[in-house]
Amino acid sequence: MSALQPMKITVQVVGADGLYKRDVFRSPDPFAVITVDGAQTKSTSTAKRTLHPFWNESFEFNCTQNSILAIQIFDQKKFKKKDQGFLGVINLRIGDVIDLENDISQSETLTRPLKKSNDNLIVSGEVFITLSHKGRGRQGGAASHMSPPNGPPAELLTPGPSANDAGSNPPGLISASNRQYSSFEDQYGRLPPGWERRTDNFGRTYYVDHNSRTTTWTRPALDQSEADRTNQRVNATEAERRQHMDRSLPGENSSSTTVGNLSSSGSVNASNNQTALSMASNGYTTFGLGELPPGWEQRLTAEGRPYFVDHNTRTTTWVDPRRQQYIRSVGPNTTVQQQPVSQLGPLPSGWEMRLTNTARVYFVDHNTKTTTWDDPRLPSSLDQNVPQYKRDFRRKVIYFRSQPALRILPGQCHIKVRRSHIFEDSYQEIMRQSPEDLKKRLMIKFDGEEGLDYGGVSREFFFLLSHDMFNPFYCLFEYSTHDNYTLQINPNSGINPEHLNYFKFIGRVVGLGIFHRRFLDAFFVGALYKMILHKKVILQDMEGVDAEFYRSLKWILENDITDVLDLTFSAEDERFGEIVTVDLKEGGRDIEVTEENKMEYVELITEWKIHRRVEQQFKAFMDGFNELIPQELINVFDERELELLIGGIADVDVEDWKKHTDYRGYQESDEVIQWFWKCVTEWDKEQKARLLQFTTGTSRIPVNGFKDLQGSDGPRRFTIEKAGESNQLPKSHTCFNRVDLPPYKDYGSLKQKLTLAVEETVGFGQE
Amino acid sequence: MSSKRINKELIDLGRDPPTSCSAGPVGDDLYHWQASIMGPPDSPYAGGVFFLSIHFPTDYPFKPPKIQFTTKIYHPNINASGNICLDILKDQWSPALTISKVLLSICSLLTDANPDDPLVPEIAHIYKSDRAKYEATAKEWTKKYAV
Repeated sequence: MSALQPMKITVQVVGADGLYKRDVFRSPDPFAVITVDGAQTKSTSTAKRTLHPFWNESFEFNCTQNSILAIQIFDQKKFKKKDQGFLGVINLRIGDVIDLENDISQSETLTRPLKKSNDNLIVSGEVFITLSHKGRGRQGGAASHMSPPNGPPAELLTPGPSANDAGSNPPGLISASNRQYSSFEDQYGRLPPGWERRTDNFGRTYYVDHNSRTTTWTRPALDQSEADRTNQRVNATEAERRQHMDRSLPGENSSSTTVGNLSSSGSVNASNNQTALSMASNGYTTFGLGELPPGWEQRLTAEGRPYFVDHNTRTTTWVDPRRQQYIRSVGPNTTVQQQPVSQLGPLPSGWEMRLTNTARVYFVDHNTKTTTWDDPRLPSSLDQNVPQYKRDFRRKVIYFRSQPALRILPGQCHIKVRRSHIFEDSYQEIMRQSPEDLKKRLMIKFDGEEGLDYGGVSREFFFLLSHDMFNPFYCLFEYSTHDNYTLQINPNSGINPEHLNYFKFIGRVVGLGIFHRRFLDAFFVGALYKMILHKKVILQDMEGVDAEFYRSLKWILENDITDVLDLTFSAEDERFGEIVTVDLKEGGRDIEVTEENKMEYVELITEWKIHRRVEQQFKAFMDGFNELIPQELINVFDERELELLIGGIADVDVEDWKKHTDYRGYQESDEVIQWFWKCVTEWDKEQKARLLQFTTGTSRIPVNGFKDLQGSDGPRRFTIEKAGESNQLPKSHTCFNRVDLPPYKDYGSLKQKLTLAVEETVGFGQE
Repeated sequence: MSSKRINKELIDLGRDPPTSCSAGPVGDDLYHWQASIMGPPDSPYAGGVFFLSIHFPTDYPFKPPKIQFTTKIYHPNINASGNICLDILKDQWSPALTISKVLLSICSLLTDANPDDPLVPEIAHIYKSDRAKYEATAKEWTKKYAV
């Protein structure tokens, strides 16, 4: 029997993918140990700091048909620990893969999911290997050598169906590999790191780039080099950074004072964004033209990123002053600011007014040793000149800022972090200080970089930190199913035993940003803002969290459920693959949901899904948040205003918005549509942001503009639909980025109705 | 909620099996089923047996099951990966629908394709412009992959 005679087999361990991340801050150093029948053992070299190791090493073993091949993966850094850094194992019988009986040459490439060992530690991911045998017989089968893991033969992967059919497997089985692909690979192999494949509601495939948070129909190029991708990522981050640095709040930034200069500076900034994107090759901020103004100098950070030093004012900035001048010449806000200055009376004690060499006014606060463009006397007097905004977010912000609890304390709060370890370092730095210390003037320093924090550095700090700490990669937050990039607390964050400390930290950072008037580049689901304001979450909030779930709950309320649904007052929750039943009220799993009590059920399951499931995490978050921001003060805002307070208001490029808008029942040339855009163009940036909140559920604009707008089920362009009577208000469907606009008779009524709808409807998820 | 409901559907399927379809769990995983559909006699898929895989989400029936053909089929609303374009599996899903009803809908999709909302535009084009050619190809695929 040749089957029992040992023969030479080559095991090529190509690599592994999606290994389990046991440490928050560190990826493992994985290596594989290959054992045959517990007797012959070989091991690969160690891959460094990766969850996707690539070894591509081959080993020879003597095997029979019945030999068992085991491949175990360990973390080299933890090999001496108790669990040896175990990351998973696969076992297979040689005869199931390769037929040694007919001594012919064969080669099989396999993808196998990693399994747990006896100690039940969680593992994830899969291993790619190729088994080959050089036979004395003739070449057999298609011996594809070292092609990307194209999926094993069907019978290996679908034990269920083939066992059930007792050998009568349908011959036309769609290649098993097709269904086996994770969303990070396809028939052409792996997607580049950070990319994911998804399907929209028409079954069309699109690609999400989590690095830049963009989507595209085109598969990321295979032949793109790692350097190109890094470059693209750097550019995308740069575009996001620009968008972020341009954010402001009413009453806090000179560029938000008049409507006129708003729209013009808006389009300039947008074109800056475009330029930033088009500088595809070098990855640096765009440079202005000509010489720098006198007293300015350009320097490079340790990473080679240019920044600008103004020796006149002793400030540093990422923004090229030649560009800033351009913005300023378009929007001459110097005159806007200077004009009221003479009528304002003396400056508060300890303040001084100075001029930059370009004759722009700025103010020095010798009490806190800070400088600012904003006149400390300005907010109250400006109110008379600025058109009164009905909901008056502006006034609320001014009131909020004027409260003693939000005043900066004397002294300085030094925070020094490494750019490359910003989450880790910030956690240490911010948690070791008392809340009182954190209320002193922030002095952020990036390790190895010069530049004092006159504002620019801390803006950069909050920008980078918000990208990192909300990264779903750490399992603390996750993207909602509503669209790609609104965040919610990950109910499974407990996978990290320290998670509550991190939530407290994140709460502190969000509070810190508000306290020191810095914005986070992060947007939450509407329900989370409501929870921060201690408001009860209701069914409508579910739409932004999970649109499908929301539709089913609505269906329950609108239909007779007698004998249709078989529900009890309980929910089923998946925790790391295990399904757990949770009572929505005491003994809930034994209480039937009936036509009579279904309202209560809908209320309870909504509360559970949005709030109760993450109660601990949310409490820790609020503990940290309230250390800096008292609850009674934040409560002056509503949930949409809170979004703007945390994230700031970005300039919206109306031309780009218009360009990527679809119409249903209307034509772009229709009068009503023309009025709509006229109205939007005339609005200031806060109102534009509010219109976005009303129609899409968030004021976030995709980095690459409106072409990348996401709905609850994939890419969804902004849509204006003809619906409703002309005496009604416009309605919105945030899941589909759609607004139902009645055919109003004249510009006046459109403007009035649209303003009313945008300002008066509080809460997300309008239906 | 989901496991109780799925169990109930399984019992109902056993008690009152729909004609021309069958479905049941794969192994002991209640959330993963396999189903089969007989090609409707008045369609080019007649004589074929088509297999499908069904995955129930944890919050079923609040969310639709994920259903894919695992047998290759030539149809304007079913693509090469077996994905099905059917409104009740997407935004028209309602918690009152069951696997049995969904399978019957898929059966009628085989008889009456919806070329105006195609998943595979090329097949939809042939369906509309050269019906005989579409039927011939569908028959050929059925014979090749589903018999």
